[in-house]
Amino acid sequence: MNIEACDALAMAASVASGETTARALLDSCVKRIEATDAKVNAFTDKTLSRAFAEADAVDARFTNGEALGPLAGVPYAVKNLFDIEGIVTLAGSVVNRSHAPAAADAFLISQMKNAGAVLIGALNMDEYAYGFTTENTHYGACHNPHDLSRIAGGSSGGSGAAVAASHVPIALGSDTNGSIRVPASLCGVWGLKPTFGRLSRRGTYPFVYSIDHLGPMASSLGGLALAYDALQCCDPLDAGCHALEVQPVMPRMNHGIEGLRVGILGGYFHDHASRAAREVVALAAITLGATDEVIWPDAALGRAAAVIITASEGGSLHLNDLRTRADEFEPLSVDRFIAGALQPADWTIKAHRVRRQYRGKVNALFKDWDILLTAATPVSAPMIGTDWLDINSTQHPARAAMGLLTQPISFAGCPVVAAPMWPMQTSGMPIGVQIIAAPWREDLAFRAAHVLAGAGVAHVKTVNL
Amino acid sequence: MNEPDVVTYVKSTAVLLGIPMDAARASRVASHLQRTAAMAALLNAANLSVEEELAEIYCPTLLKPNEYNLKQP
Repeated sequence: MNIEACDALAMAASVASGETTARALLDSCVKRIEATDAKVNAFTDKTLSRAFAEADAVDARFTNGEALGPLAGVPYAVKNLFDIEGIVTLAGSVVNRSHAPAAADAFLISQMKNAGAVLIGALNMDEYAYGFTTENTHYGACHNPHDLSRIAGGSSGGSGAAVAASHVPIALGSDTNGSIRVPASLCGVWGLKPTFGRLSRRGTYPFVYSIDHLGPMASSLGGLALAYDALQCCDPLDAGCHALEVQPVMPRMNHGIEGLRVGILGGYFHDHASRAAREVVALAAITLGATDEVIWPDAALGRAAAVIITASEGGSLHLNDLRTRADEFEPLSVDRFIAGALQPADWTIKAHRVRRQYRGKVNALFKDWDILLTAATPVSAPMIGTDWLDINSTQHPARAAMGLLTQPISFAGCPVVAAPMWPMQTSGMPIGVQIIAAPWREDLAFRAAHVLAGAGVAHVKTVNL
Repeated sequence: MNEPDVVTYVKSTAVLLGIPMDAARASRVASHLQRTAAMAALLNAANLSVEEELAEIYCPTLLKPNEYNLKQP
């Protein structure tokens, strides 16, 4: 089987039909990783013994005529902030190397295992998820498979790159301020940031308790839906898991968008998008029949509050290590962590109060709209080491600017499918489009994404490495 | 607040929190904090009512019957 042209749906179907085996799929993925990951630097750990055991268990079930899970035999990997039993959870740091190996898998890894998926390894990321570029000083920068001189985005950069490089058809990541949507956009793969509280975060290393989300990235929309449906489960042991029921998207994904009200975000989102980013949004809008511009309420205020809560909670979380081991932190983010720890309490408390008001204003927007569109990043992937970005003749700090368009959305907790699209003016580099729905309405975002995929305007491109 | 004032704030609060701080780091941290201060100004300008509150951050959990430790009469 040619795994570079094969998505999770096709892999699972071929295992279920006996056309191939889970072990053969795994062999193909391992060969691909061994041949190409030295260029990409997506993986920080490989779990091959475990992977072969999981693949063989799937094949044994097939041989015995037992029922297979929906992801049976599908290889995947996870951002290295997910606990993997027996492995130290690095979260992109060297400080965590002194921690004990994880005693158990993260909850979402258990969900993937129950669905038959095969875990191949752990993936590169920005240290403690505080970044949008995966220029990790300790483990090396993750390279964009579409142009190895460019960033993969972050903080789930290894997840985006591993999918784009056809190492795995599915990867799991986390998204606090854009860390799934930014690498999905820059690597040209599908990504889902679910509703805040939808998926359990138990067994992952936190960044910002009150904004952290987990979610999948995939090489096809069908693979994304398959993974998302497998990941869903109400988890009373995660205080941040607010899901009351499992709501699969796969059965309704192909229902079309007739009757759905689709708008295009203007104002702040237009102003912070480059011409190329506006181009892909316009193409998505035409495909979905959207013509009306919509103003998202208080976007700059929402982003400001997200930045302040992020800094404060992140700084507080790592305060003990900042006191004694600051020199072992990532040079690109340690001073921001310290600044966050020193912030006046008034800023953080006010940011939380603003968030409550913000939620009401954003929810009110969805009385009139079902789907809203905007770019996932202001630009396509910059070169590794870029410090400043010009966006519409304004200079922005490059590493922070990659989250300009994602932060106001996740701060309201709305679900977003990031659709991989390909502008004419970026020399072959992708920019994703955010398909945004009201909280708990992932199903609507998937329906709109399905239309974009069906029209051929949103898709993944294979790369030669 | 000008930069020297922010550097002074950084050095003082770092002492309070026990974070070692040389002059170079204090200057870099102050730069970050000044950028955040500009964002905090947006929050200060927001029209918040007293009802915009944080109670939902904490939610008491219900004890199960076998978790009560009452003495039986």
